[in-house]
Amino acid sequence: MRIGFIGLGIMGRPMALNLLKGDHAVTVWARRPESRQPLLIAGAAEAGSPAEVARSSELVISMVADAPDVAEVMLGEAGVARGAAPGLVAVDMSTIAPAAARDIGQGLAAAGVDFLDAPVSGGEVGAIAGTLSIMVGGSAAGFATAQPAFAAMGKNIVHVGASGAGQVAKAANQIVTGMGVLAVAEALAFAAKNGVDGARVREALLGGFAYSKILENHGQRMLDRNFKPGFKSWMHEKDLNIVMQTAHELGLCLPGAAATAQMFNAMVGSGLGEDDSIAVLKLLERLSGQAS
Amino acid sequence: MKVGFIGLGVMGAPMAGHLLRAGHALAVWARRADSAAPLVAAGATQCPTPAELGRRSQVVFTMVTAGSDVEGVILGPDGLAAGLAPGSVVVDCSTIAPDAARRLAAHLAGRGVAFLDAPVSGGAQGARDATLAIMAGGDAEALERVRPLLECLGKRIVHVGPSGAGQVAKVCNQIIMVAAIQAAAEAVHLAAAAGADPARVRQALAGGSAASRVLDVMGERMVCRDFAAGIEARLHHKDFGIALEAARRAGVPMPLAAAVGQQLNALMAQGWGKDDTASLLKVLECARA
Repeated sequence: MRIGFIGLGIMGRPMALNLLKGDHAVTVWARRPESRQPLLIAGAAEAGSPAEVARSSELVISMVADAPDVAEVMLGEAGVARGAAPGLVAVDMSTIAPAAARDIGQGLAAAGVDFLDAPVSGGEVGAIAGTLSIMVGGSAAGFATAQPAFAAMGKNIVHVGASGAGQVAKAANQIVTGMGVLAVAEALAFAAKNGVDGARVREALLGGFAYSKILENHGQRMLDRNFKPGFKSWMHEKDLNIVMQTAHELGLCLPGAAATAQMFNAMVGSGLGEDDSIAVLKLLERLSGQAS
Repeated sequence: MKVGFIGLGVMGAPMAGHLLRAGHALAVWARRADSAAPLVAAGATQCPTPAELGRRSQVVFTMVTAGSDVEGVILGPDGLAAGLAPGSVVVDCSTIAPDAARRLAAHLAGRGVAFLDAPVSGGAQGARDATLAIMAGGDAEALERVRPLLECLGKRIVHVGPSGAGQVAKVCNQIIMVAAIQAAAEAVHLAAAAGADPARVRQALAGGSAASRVLDVMGERMVCRDFAAGIEARLHHKDFGIALEAARRAGVPMPLAAAVGQQLNALMAQGWGKDDTASLLKVLECARA
């Protein structure tokens, strides 16, 4: 399939590379020209704007930072809508607010473009391995068109529901992962303050009901004190803000997510924003005066 | 002085009345035209648009709900900005985000119009009694020019700092006040559940270190189960959205405010947004049902 790809950062680059490996013809565009290089070397074509990407594609995928970026590449001056032939399917795989996704979907529908929100979970590791979880909102026909591209990038691919439903699932995912990372960090801080070896605690817990991928993977990185991202804590903060904003608008009580969001807020404010989100452990240690 | 007033709700109407009684020529505009009737009967002039009101006024007060409402009446079609002459002053008494206030100030400065953010605390009672606390941000000279007008509305008028500083103070005010309402609700709830008469507990506390105006006024409402608004809870819910966004922008954790914000979300979900914030007590009671 002729696929356009916009946004070639930590996540976008390996995802686009996997499309090439899947024998798709890929045309790329990124704000910073130097980030296009690895893709061009691997055989992708280059376009001068998102509109031009759309002109040469049957399917366009965006993977950028935030809702205003998505709106710009999709609906801006030189955006996808400007170059789209009717029937084009546009897929945004960034994490943005469900309401923003629905708005962008409506804007694109006016240009005859079928829009899917398809955020992912699995981080850089999953993007490179092609094992991302992909949660999709939008039409069944659009989902069917995009399916071969999804298959090249991910494993657990679920059509969750109508427009915005993918982002709702992603926000739910961030509630679980945000609180999960904090829970594991608290458990390890608790062990340390009690003078017990965290590595042994983790090992003991892995066999029981507290088992989780987060305890296994993030827990190990906490024990190794390897705070390199992975998933930067400022991005987790951004995602939890989407959760809290949505809860505020809907009138939904989420006490755990609210407390967790404040921890991530404190991390960003105290210079831990560029660390992996497991650096919430450092914040806990600061609060309780634990030497790190 | 030729004064304009926009927004004649539960706060704005009594405030505008004080300005009129102090002998100022008052022009009014409200989204619902009928809300202007009592003031017009008392001698105020009703204007068809905010722009027209701006043309007639040297100083204009706005007292509306949200930042988007303030922006609408000032910058929208037939908005204030279209009518105001250079040298005039806009005093916004609404509670909006500090950033929104700064944007409006910058915009109006380009037209030679001063903008003060001057949110108030004291509720409907304070507005009626002209005992509001007024926290002002913006140009000091502009504040001095309107100070005689502000003195018709409140007793304590503090110039907190440059543009936006008044709204920052109001955010701080709301955090402390609504957290105190939540604390009072938890105390009343615990007292009842643990077998002590909440009215007696409140009475006992009034003499000690936990005494506060919130315990006094809101505690009384909770004990009497009188949940009719004073200030509608939905407005505190709106303010907490502003507070938590400000905290986020500053990278400052507010664990307590975040928790209280969730109780307010639950209050909204129960459909009590138009009741008093004392309804936070009923949110706690929901957990037992």
